Amino acid sequence: MQFFGGSEISPSPPVPTASGNNAHMMYVFNRNGVCLLYKEWNRPLHTLNPQQDHKLMFGLLFSLKSLTAKMDPVNADKGNLGVPQLPGQGCSFHSFRTNTYKLSFMETPSGIKIILVTHPKTGDLREALKYIYSLYVEYVVKNPIYCPGSPIKSELFNTALDQYVRSIS
Amino acid sequence: MAPVTPRSGDAIFSSIDRVNAELFTLTYGAIVRQLLTDLEEVEEVNNLLDQMGYNIGIRLIDEFLAKSGVSICVDFKETVEMIAKVGFKMFLGVTASVTSWDADGTCCSIILEDNPLAEFVELPDTCQGLYYCNVLSGVIRGALEMVSMKTEVTWTRDVLRGDDAYELQVKLLKQVAEEYLYKDDE
Amino acid sequence: MVREVAESCVDTMLMEMVAMYSGRFYANKPELAARRIEAIGYQVGHQLSERYTMERPRFSDHLEAIKFICKDFWSEVFKKQIDNLKTNHRGTFVLQDNKFRWLSRVSIDPSSSEKETEDPSTPGESKAAQAVSMYLYFPCGIIRGVLSNLGIPCAVSADISSLPTCSFVIRVKA
Repeated sequence: MQFFGGSEISPSPPVPTASGNNAHMMYVFNRNGVCLLYKEWNRPLHTLNPQQDHKLMFGLLFSLKSLTAKMDPVNADKGNLGVPQLPGQGCSFHSFRTNTYKLSFMETPSGIKIILVTHPKTGDLREALKYIYSLYVEYVVKNPIYCPGSPIKSELFNTALDQYVRSIS
Repeated sequence: MAPVTPRSGDAIFSSIDRVNAELFTLTYGAIVRQLLTDLEEVEEVNNLLDQMGYNIGIRLIDEFLAKSGVSICVDFKETVEMIAKVGFKMFLGVTASVTSWDADGTCCSIILEDNPLAEFVELPDTCQGLYYCNVLSGVIRGALEMVSMKTEVTWTRDVLRGDDAYELQVKLLKQVAEEYLYKDDE
Repeated sequence: MVREVAESCVDTMLMEMVAMYSGRFYANKPELAARRIEAIGYQVGHQLSERYTMERPRFSDHLEAIKFICKDFWSEVFKKQIDNLKTNHRGTFVLQDNKFRWLSRVSIDPSSSEKETEDPSTPGESKAAQAVSMYLYFPCGIIRGVLSNLGIPCAVSADISSLPTCSFVIRVKA
């Protein structure tokens, strides 16, 4: 995108977006592919309905993971393309970047997938995603009225998450 | 990136919120007693305790992973050792040991010498057939299932039944691959 | 040294106990589920009070016993004291905990409850409120168990105005 073309030359801190926040959107999926949470901060463009959107994101991660493992030049532990892997099996990717956004991804051995889409110049978010996972544990898993596997409806979690994500640069 | 060494169970246990173990022990005891009153068959009580443990395991696995920093659970042997060494310590404050691995590494025993769940417990004769600590086998089964390992967990020794330690046999039935659940409606 | 376990051990056990009684056993009979959950709490309170009062002199009156619950007992179990104690001096006591530990992580998203009104029989919020009240039968039972062990028969109910504040109302039976 031309808009960011100029900033490539001089090393400057990440350009803050209009809301003063680098995050575009976030997804949390569980091991069964259920979208437990979708949140957006800055997403002017919606081309799909939410169900299609979630499905596409889950499919993208699924295919990309199997692709990255298949292309692994050093590790023998690779499955066949398209054959399901165990969560954590083979190598995995943790982010990719396009000219308009960066997608950071974390998957826990229990199959929780956390996806954060941010400004393309955002730094390494692996620690940030781990922190978000710990928020999930504290406020979602430990909420007595939360039923595991159901969509997250927790004000405490939403507030803590929102506050943290807005602080990511 | 080099794999991160998981934090030790001791370190986690000393840093997390803890409660008086009596509350835990007595609450569990009261639940077992209430179930024995409500249900006729001891076998049914065993099943419910196991089911309760399974549901607890489903929740605790994420706390275990988040706090220990364990990021990969693909190898059954490593995973069981980790749960015994780090998991038991960080939740119950006790150490469990893993022994008796079979040749192909799919079956082993977890041994617990000190079990806070059964402190102050004496089973009356009317409770024959009761696996008092059955919640524990459920927790292990539930936690392992969440990391894609379907297991069968059975008691092989039980102090409350006159043995010298608590011993659970954990047998791997299969490892379940991740499913792409959207294929039907595409 | 006092033996301890991770707080999550107790928390998850309570969650599953409540879910078992209110969901699996008595899904359509909440009053029966409530009675069982209260009974479990009662046993726990009874036994805990036995342990915590072993070495202390008998309480001279009801207020002394209630103060024991507010300070010593609450500190042992919840690592804090009751924040406010009120009484009408006719046998009713209100114990308010401004951050009741077992409610500290209970959270409902008010913005999402609208979407659920498609099913008018179980609007999200009231269902959640029901789940929370089910949960509170356990500490109510504990308090009743403690007092009963101290020779004070009573009825205990809980009241939540805004999470995580919780008030326990004790009515001593004359």
